[in-house]
Amino acid sequence: MNGKAANIVLLVSGVLALSVDALAHHGAAAYNTQATVEVAGKVTQFEFVNPHVLIYMSVTGEDGSTTEWSGEITSPNRLARSERSTVRWSKDLLQIGDEIVLIGNPARNGAPSLRLLEVVDSDGRGLLGSDYWSERR
Amino acid sequence: MSKPMIVWAAVYVAAVYSPTIQSQSVGHGADFSGVWSQDRGAQPERFRNYAFTEELPPMTEWAQERFDQSKPTFGPRNVPVLETNDPVYECFPPGTPRVYLHPFPMEIVQTSDRVLMVFEYDHLIRQIYIDGRGHRTDLAPMWMGDSTGHWEGDVLVVETVNFNDKTWTDRRGVPHSDQLRVIERIRRISDENLQIDITIEDPVAFTEPWVGTRIYRAVDWDVEEFICMDNVNFEAFEREVLNYDGGVN
Repeated sequence: MNGKAANIVLLVSGVLALSVDALAHHGAAAYNTQATVEVAGKVTQFEFVNPHVLIYMSVTGEDGSTTEWSGEITSPNRLARSERSTVRWSKDLLQIGDEIVLIGNPARNGAPSLRLLEVVDSDGRGLLGSDYWSERR
Repeated sequence: MSKPMIVWAAVYVAAVYSPTIQSQSVGHGADFSGVWSQDRGAQPERFRNYAFTEELPPMTEWAQERFDQSKPTFGPRNVPVLETNDPVYECFPPGTPRVYLHPFPMEIVQTSDRVLMVFEYDHLIRQIYIDGRGHRTDLAPMWMGDSTGHWEGDVLVVETVNFNDKTWTDRRGVPHSDQLRVIERIRRISDENLQIDITIEDPVAFTEPWVGTRIYRAVDWDVEEFICMDNVNFEAFEREVLNYDGGVN
């Protein structure tokens, strides 16, 4: 994980090149699909379970306080087939303590939760292979 | 080798080596066996995840009333998962033909008397009887309906009836009654693609037949486990998000 990106929450307006419906099997009403947020933190929990993969991570703010953020992606079956990702996901892909960046649509009510569009690992690799991340690099 | 020869050679190999059809003759007009996934490129992205057509079907007053009461998670009227009354979120089967809208693969297995569709989504199995039998009259209405089929050349024509009225026709909340009748015409349009033309009739719900198409592509995947009851974890997650009270809004 690049230290410069740590603890930064960046709002980016506009619509991603990556199709939103590609990554989830239910609707997105709880999330603002017109906005994108990037959050850096350390993995605290990785649930590789149907119907949606859930990632939880601890984010340390500038004042030292920590907040638990979460994110959801499509089903593990689809990720394990590399159907919607360039990396072949598995239950061991993320480990507790891994430094990652979650990129996604924020919850409309301000909850620290994302509808994930990309997961960036500690090597800077976009695990979902989104155009958004590859064009950013 | 010509294409028909290749197809029949494949059927022969399957007949010899597959334990399920080893001792049975293969009495069908085409080979659909294999794992199929929705061909996303062949469907308009705007609605492919939740509807067969972008336009709503012509609904009767009966259906319009129920449609107005439905709270789908997809489409222009979408609500968060915790607020939906979509029966699928209670882990009821999606029904036919809605099951085709869920973005998971299905495997087709053919025997001499049946075509089986094994859906990854909630491990549902459709049995389409092609042995000439009629529809059952002794069973209660069903979630996925009662399917019989016959070959018209290399097209499998499937009629499904005897539905209950508890499922939605698509993922945006279009209802149907127990008078739903679904006709599917299934055929290979290339070595890699399967086309399913669907006609949805329901005199109680729709004022005229409603027609849609789904295109599938052959994939080398396995159909994996997908159990709806695992939703328990996800619902807890959604609840955490929706009940969050420390936000700015």
